[in-house]
Amino acid sequence: MASSTLNEGPLTVALPKGRLTDDALAHLARAGYGMPHDLNGGRKLVVDGEDGRLRFILVKPSDVPVFVEYGAADIGIAGLDVVREAERDVYEPLRLPFGYCRLVVAGKEDRPDRPLRLEKSPKVATKFPRLTDAFFRKRGLAPEIIIMSGSVELAPLVGLADLIVDLVQTGTTLRENGLVELRIVLESQAVLLANRASYRLKARQVRELIDSVAAIEKEERA
Amino acid sequence: MTSQITGALSHAPSQASERPLPEGVRDLLFEDAATWRELEAALRTTWQGWGYREIILPTFEYAETLATDVGAGIDAEMYRFFDRHGSTLALRPDMTIPTARVVGTRLYDQALPLRIAYAGSVFRYEAPRAGRQHEFTQVGVELIGAPTREADAESIALAVAALRAAGLPEFRITVGHVAYFRGLMRALMLPPRYAELMRSAIDRKAEAELAALVLEAGQLGAREREALLALPLLSGDAGVLVEARNHVLNPLMQTALDELVELSTLVEAHGVADAIDYDLSEVRDLDYYTGITFEGFAPGLGFSLISGGRYDDLVGHFGPSFPAVGWALILDRLALAREIQGVAASAQSADVLVASALPRAALRWAIEARRRGLLVELDALDLTPDQLWSAAQARHVKRVLTFREAGNLEMRDAAGVHPLEANHWEEIETWRQAR
Repeated sequence: MASSTLNEGPLTVALPKGRLTDDALAHLARAGYGMPHDLNGGRKLVVDGEDGRLRFILVKPSDVPVFVEYGAADIGIAGLDVVREAERDVYEPLRLPFGYCRLVVAGKEDRPDRPLRLEKSPKVATKFPRLTDAFFRKRGLAPEIIIMSGSVELAPLVGLADLIVDLVQTGTTLRENGLVELRIVLESQAVLLANRASYRLKARQVRELIDSVAAIEKEERA
Repeated sequence: MTSQITGALSHAPSQASERPLPEGVRDLLFEDAATWRELEAALRTTWQGWGYREIILPTFEYAETLATDVGAGIDAEMYRFFDRHGSTLALRPDMTIPTARVVGTRLYDQALPLRIAYAGSVFRYEAPRAGRQHEFTQVGVELIGAPTREADAESIALAVAALRAAGLPEFRITVGHVAYFRGLMRALMLPPRYAELMRSAIDRKAEAELAALVLEAGQLGAREREALLALPLLSGDAGVLVEARNHVLNPLMQTALDELVELSTLVEAHGVADAIDYDLSEVRDLDYYTGITFEGFAPGLGFSLISGGRYDDLVGHFGPSFPAVGWALILDRLALAREIQGVAASAQSADVLVASALPRAALRWAIEARRRGLLVELDALDLTPDQLWSAAQARHVKRVLTFREAGNLEMRDAAGVHPLEANHWEEIETWRQAR
C-alpha cells in the first residue's frame, strides 16, 4: 500500500541564483538532463526541463539548503560556504568541480602584525555570522559580529569593523580596497544536496542523478 | 475584491487586543484539535490491539534525570527551571527517558516483556520545523525485556500499523543497524580523528567526501576500502542486505547483517514488507542505539515523522538493565503529512441545529437523538428561522429542526423546507453516516 503509488514526477532542483547558476546548469546538462527554457530571463519561477525529468527553481543561494531541508526541492546545488553557514539537515552526496572560492578573514593592509588570538574583541563584518562566530570562539575570542548583506569590504575602510569574513575568488576586490587575507575559514566549492526523505522516497531518481553527475568527473579524470 | 480584503483586515484589530504567545507554542483550534484527538484515538486503539498499556508521565522532572544519556543535542535544548528549593527541574524533552526511569525504578520485578505506550507533549528549544514547535506531541511505544528479533519486528510492524491506522496513505520506514557501521570502524582501526570524519561524511551521505577520506587515510586494504566506499550505496530494498554480504569484515558486521536478514523475514510475515527499506549507512544517534534503528518518511514532508530502534543500555541507568526496543512519532508531523497527502481534516460540526420553539418537545427529542449518537446543537439565542439557517450554515451544520404545534416537525436543509416525523429515527440516524 505504501510503496506502490509513490509517484514518479520530475525531481525538483533548487539552483542558486548568481555566479553558480550557469555552471550548475551546464553540469546537469552534461550529466544528460534536459535543460529549462529561459530560466534566467523568463518570469516563471518554476521551469520544467525539456525532457521532463527535472524541474528547476532559481532561489537565493543561501536559501538553497532551506528548500532542500524542507523537501520543497529534492535536490539542490549550493556553495559549501552557504551549506555550512545554514547548518541544515540535508544530505550532501557530491562535491562539484566548480564554484571554487574560500571564506577568509581579512583586514586592512596596515594593521599591526600580531596573532588573532591576542585581539581583544574584534568587530567583524560578515554575511556568514555562524561560521565567523565559530571560527573566533574556537580560538578563545569573543567577536562582535556585524551582520551585513552586501559590500562587506567597505566595513573596515570606514571604521565600521576591524576585520571582515568574506568569500574570495581571486583576491582582486580585497587588494583594490587595501585589504589582505589573514586566515582561511573554509575552502568552498559547489555541493550537490539531497533531501533526506526524497533520498528514500524517490530513491531511484535521486540515485540516477547522483550517479550520472558523479560519472562526469570520472570521465574527465580519465 | 481588494476593498473587501482590506476591510476584513482593518476590522480585526479593533476587535482583538494583542497578546503575543511565547516562542514555540500554539493553539490548536476546532478541526485541528479534532484531528489531534482522532489520531491519538486511532493510535491508542492500535497499540491496545497489540497488548500495549499506556502510562501517563509527569510533564517535568529533575533535570538530571531527564538529561540521562540524551546526548549533547537534546541536553542543550531542554527547558530548565528551578523549584522553590533551588533544585533544577526540566520539562521532558522526550518520553523514552521518563519511561526508562519508571521501568528501572518501579517496574523492574514485573513479568517481562513489558509493553508500554505513551502520548503527550514534549518540550525542546529547537527552531520550529515541519509542523513541530518547541512544544510538540509524541506518541510512542516501548517493548521492554525482549532482546529478540521478534521484538524488533513487532516494533516496526506496529509502527506501520499505527501509521496506517492513522490514515496516512503513503510512507516508508527505513531500517538500519548500528553494529554494521561500528563493526566496519573496528575493522578499519583508523585513528579516532578519521573515524569521526568518516562517520560525519556517512551521516551526510557525502559519497565524494568519503572517497577523498579513504584516499587520504592511505594504508587501508582493498576489502576495507571497498566496504567503506560501498556503504552510502547500501540503501534501498531488501536487496541491499544481499549486497552487503560482500563487504562483511568481522563478526560484528556479520551479526548486524544476520539480524537484519532475520528481521526482513519477520516483517514480511507481519505483512508490512512493502513499507520497509534498509539503509546500512544510517549512523544517526549511534551512541544511543544498540541494535536496529529506523525512521519513517512521507512524501512532501522533508523530515522524518517517526523514529526508533533498539536501546539496550538506557534502562540500566535507572535500575536493573533490560533490553528495549521502541519508537516515537511526532503527532504534529503526522497531521501535517496527512494534510500534504490530501487527507481531509476532521469535521467538527453538529448534525442538526434545533430551534428553541416548544422547548419541552425539542429537548426531549434532543436527548433521544444524542442517545442515538447524533450531534445535536440547541439554539441558545432565540433566533428567527432565517437567522437560524444562517447560523447553521456558518458552522457547517447541515440541518435546522423546528418543532411546531402537535408534534409536527419542520426540517430545513440545502434542498429546502419539509415536514419530518419526530420519531422517524430510521431516517434521522442516516444523518450520522452522511457526516
